[in-house]
Amino acid sequence: MKPCKTQAFTLVEILVVCGIVSVFLGTAILLFTNFRRGYSRSEGTAVLLQDGALFIARLRTDLNNAVIAPDSSGGAPAQLSATPDQLSFIVYSSREARTMPVVYRYLAAENGGSIFRREGSEKERELIKDRVASLTWQTELERFLEPESTGSGTVRLSIGLDIQLKMRSGDEKPFTLKTSIFPARLNRQLNSP
Amino acid sequence: MLEIVFSIGILALIMLPVFMTFSTGNRNIQLTDAEFRAHTAAIELMEQIVSLPFGKITSGEYDSNAIVDGGQFANGPVLYKITTADDLWRTMKIEDIKRDGRVLFKKITVTIKFAAAPGSDRIREFFMKTLVANETL
Repeated sequence: MKPCKTQAFTLVEILVVCGIVSVFLGTAILLFTNFRRGYSRSEGTAVLLQDGALFIARLRTDLNNAVIAPDSSGGAPAQLSATPDQLSFIVYSSREARTMPVVYRYLAAENGGSIFRREGSEKERELIKDRVASLTWQTELERFLEPESTGSGTVRLSIGLDIQLKMRSGDEKPFTLKTSIFPARLNRQLNSP
Repeated sequence: MLEIVFSIGILALIMLPVFMTFSTGNRNIQLTDAEFRAHTAAIELMEQIVSLPFGKITSGEYDSNAIVDGGQFANGPVLYKITTADDLWRTMKIEDIKRDGRVLFKKITVTIKFAAAPGSDRIREFFMKTLVANETL
């Protein structure tokens, strides 16, 4: 009988290669799954950061344009009005060359609240949808008196803001921000002689 | 078998940059978060100084130990209102800009130093400048 001369892998070689390939594939799949999870978490975190940053920038710009304007009904001058679910004030619009009310409304919900903004007679717009875990805004009016002075001192109005945004999945890092906003125009008006 | 082992090695090398890209993305988002907090801290400090009457904005250099919540601004009576953050260091410089012996503007520079990443020793710096006009002239 003629011996077979065809070269082939031995069983040991095939087993070793299969072992290496499965270890490599296992590691690659594990790494990829971890990275994928981390990536989607970061993507969600970035979305929250962007939502939060845009909201804070919008509110800050509005508050910096806030002014003390006489009430249209002839009542006392309106400044800022803050309730747990609403923040309202009067702004001076350079575009329209007149004052108009701005109202921020917070609608709390168990699965994530929303924030809305309305300017003048325009339709209310949604700034953040279903992602607000908590939101508080508090106004504080301080008066600093010089010692031994008979003057009225320096008045400072500020709005303390504490906000937390969360994704529904809850895997992402929540966006948390605590800061104070000082409406410059309003403060100048309050301190004007 | 040698060829297969080599090809697996090459494949691993090709895949490495792909995995590195994911982790770089994560790091960048962390940095953006820290930068945003530094930016917010700078605006918070800047706004409360700008909101003061011009005469109360006292020129000078103020370091991190002086700029604390409830601390006196200059020699008082105005007190700082600062949101506490252990990993942010604030400094501020206020300069007079004069013409013909009169102060026309105050130049305010706020600098915030912060850790590049949570627990990192690398420090990054963010600064913000503005001018306040003397409205009493």
